[in-house]
Parts: sequence; structure tokens; C-alpha cells
Amino acid sequence: MNSKVIKRHSKVTIFMHWFNAFCWFFLLATGLGLIKNKDLQLLGGWWSNLMYSIFGSGETLLLVHEICGLTWLVVFIVYIIFGSRKYVIPFLKQVFTYSPATDLKWLIKKNIQMTLGNKWLKRLGFTADIPEQGFYNVGQKLFAVASILGGIVIAATGIIMFLSNILLQNTAIVQWAIVIHFVAVGVVTGGLLVHIYMAAISPDERPAFFSMFTGTVPEDYAEHHHKLWYDEIKSAERKAHSA
Amino acid sequence: MKKQLAMVIDSTSCIDCKGCMTACKVENKVPPGKWRNWIKEQDPDFENLSRSDNSESLHFQPGNCMHCDNPTCVQACPTSATYKNDKDGTIKVNKKLCIGCGSCIPACPYGARYRHPEEKVVDKCDFCERRRARGELPACVTTCPTKARTFGDLKDPNSEVARLLKSKKTVKVFNRQTDTQPNIYYMSMTAPLDWPLKAETPSAIQLWKAINPFVWGFVGLNVLGVLAMLGKQLLIKDESPEAEHKQREDVHE
Repeated sequence: MNSKVIKRHSKVTIFMHWFNAFCWFFLLATGLGLIKNKDLQLLGGWWSNLMYSIFGSGETLLLVHEICGLTWLVVFIVYIIFGSRKYVIPFLKQVFTYSPATDLKWLIKKNIQMTLGNKWLKRLGFTADIPEQGFYNVGQKLFAVASILGGIVIAATGIIMFLSNILLQNTAIVQWAIVIHFVAVGVVTGGLLVHIYMAAISPDERPAFFSMFTGTVPEDYAEHHHKLWYDEIKSAERKAHSA
Repeated sequence: MKKQLAMVIDSTSCIDCKGCMTACKVENKVPPGKWRNWIKEQDPDFENLSRSDNSESLHFQPGNCMHCDNPTCVQACPTSATYKNDKDGTIKVNKKLCIGCGSCIPACPYGARYRHPEEKVVDKCDFCERRRARGELPACVTTCPTKARTFGDLKDPNSEVARLLKSKKTVKVFNRQTDTQPNIYYMSMTAPLDWPLKAETPSAIQLWKAINPFVWGFVGLNVLGVLAMLGKQLLIKDESPEAEHKQREDVHE
């Protein structure tokens, strides 16, 4: 064990992460509250009633949902425009790069390991080694892709609904936008639950959770969880020293 | 429901003067080409007209939003911007919560709803809420020269509408496939009866209702997955991350 740390996240990344997280919780809570139709409330009307009592009325609830959604969108557009070369494009390259054979192996083994443990991994005939991962592991990458595509769909359908009573004439588009908005949020929320467990509850990724505040991870964590990235950093360091 | 505002209409006395439509249009500033109320008409069968038979004569039937007890429009609205007001039993539209998706429009068998061309939200009869707040009757009721429309609270046994319902034979006009349980009653001789349409929920909203359990099911599966991981974390103590790391270090060496 050594106590050296490696820089993992910039201040901008950390800000965008927590800004996004805050908006997601707020929009999810208020958005679910807006679905007041009894036939669409699978878990009963209590959540809607709670949101109505917090915000006073349905129209206020709609207004804060729209304001938060638009703020989220504007901040992300600014981030994408001004951070494209430094943050956005490198991030997209990372999360859209896959090596199917080892990725599939990782997904299967990691799922068994996380839910049943190493004993079962062996009992089911797998070896205990898990394919080495880069800056992000496959699970993180898949969740990132779901969030990006989901985010685009949610933003587009949100804009359609927002513009509906300002300038749109075609109501069929608006009706479809509501449904697609809901489904996309459902898909990303599913992944979000796993993301939150991994980061905040599972002890395995605790250093990654703290890195979302400090920006750094311990070297041994990087070596064990993101070996390929760790090796890259180390070889770059070596080159820098020898130069 | 403390009250149920309703109308009893004697359509035999309607002379098709369109006074109710005009008064409504002025009172509620209904935009050009749109109407909150109407007069339906039954044409006589001229081919088989006989002098003695009066039943085949021209007949006019005034109407407006029926403020139903089984409101298909409310069932189609995702946000409940359109809802049944439990104070007076009217079907209301909260225009600030309505995003103008128009799902409720085909859901009304009577065609009582339209999307306001400027406001781009749904508009319909509200039994003249502003006039009622001043203690007046709805504009269509006040203006009718033959007093075809009677307005009042069904739940109040002393009201004119309750008295009429008790003493006269009345009918409701509805589509057999979707009985919305309307709160406008007609004296039994009324015609036409076959005009309300089947309530239609837009396909997007229908699909939403159908896939809703699957979306929640997907989220639920993820909850189960997380619970499985949490269970493993709490129950299988011998595999702490440190032990795992050591194990992997052994593999590396």
C-alpha cells in the first residue's frame, strides 16, 4: 500500500458531475410529481401529493421543473461548446471505445462477483481474474453512453413540451414527446441506481467516490481498478523523467 | 363532491336562435372559428313526412361540456391539468398546468374541447365560472329567450334542476361505447341522440399506459440488482475489498 495519489478529475468535471447530479434528482422528483393521472401512477398518488404540497400547486411544480431543465440544458451547452477539446471529446472517445471480447468477459464476471462473490465465481467455473480496465470500466462506459443518449432524448423531448404552448401547432408531436421523455428517464434512472450503489455504498469504489470531491485517487486503487489507465500514466511519467 | 352543477334542457322549446352560442362567445372571448357550446339539429325525414305525425319534425338540441362523472378527458390528461373540481362537480382546466398536448380533445365524445389558437392550451365550457362567482347564472342560461336551459346543483333537493329531474322524464345523450355519465339532462323528447362519438385516447398516451409497468419493472430490476450487491456486501464478510485486492496481487505476482 502506498499513499501516493494520481489526478483523476479536473475541477470542471467535478462541478459538472455534481451539477448534473443535483439537476437529475430535482428533475426526477418534480417530474414524477407532475404525473398526476391516476392511471399512470403505478406506485399511487402519494409522491404527486407530496410534491404538490412542497411546491404549493401543480403550476409551480411545472414551472420549477421547466426552469431547472432549461438551466441544466444551457449549462451543458456552454460546457459542450467551451469544453469540447479539453473535456467533452476526450470523454466521448473514452466511453465509446470498446473491445467486445474482454468487455463481455468483464461484464459477466464482475456481475457474478458483485452479487454472489468470488466463491461463486470459481464454483461457476470462472477464474478470479477480471479483465484490466482503462480510465473507465465497461460498466461505467455503458452507463455513460446511456446517460449521454438518454440526456439528448430527454432534452429534445423536454424542449418540445416546453415549446408546446408557446409556438407548436401539432399536438401529436407533444404527446409522443411526453411518452419518450418518460421512457428515457426510466432507462437512465435504472442505470443511475447502480451508479449510486457502486459509488456511494459499495466499498470497492469508495476511492472513486472521494475523487469526485478531491479530484485524485490513490495509486493502488488506480492500479487495481483501472490498470490500463494506471500503466499509461506511469509510462508517461517515465518518459517525462527520462526526457 | 359537495355540489354537482348540472343542466336540464328542454330542447323542444329551443328555436335555434343561437343566442346561447353568441352570449357564450362574447362572455368567454371564444376565438374565431371555435365554440364552447352548440345547437345540434335533427332534420325531418322529408321523404316520409306526414301531416299528422309531429315526431319527425325539425328538432334543435342545445348543449355544451357535460361535466361528466366518468370524464374520459380527465383520464387522458397526463398531468391532471384537466380535472373534476370536487367543490362543484365541474370539469376544469388549469391553463397554467396544461402544456397543450391535446390528449383530452379526442377523449371527449361531445367535441366540447378545443386548443385555443393563441393560448395554445385547451379551452372549454366552465359553466361561466366568473359569472357564478358574481352570483350570476351562466351566460347561455340567462340569455335563452325560451328558457330552454335550467341550471343548478343536482345535490340540492330544493334546486330547480333536482325538482325537474324528480317530476319530469329525462334522458342523457351519450355514446353506447363510452358512457361518460354526463351531467346534462334532456327532456325525454330530445333529438338527435346518435351524435356523440366514441372517446378516443391518443395512441401515444395509450402506449404510455401499456408500457408504464415495464418501465417501472426495469427500474425495479435495477433495484433488485443493487439489493443483491448490498446483500453480498453485508452478508459475505470474508471477501472485503482488501482481501480481493490481495488475491489479485497474488495473481499478478
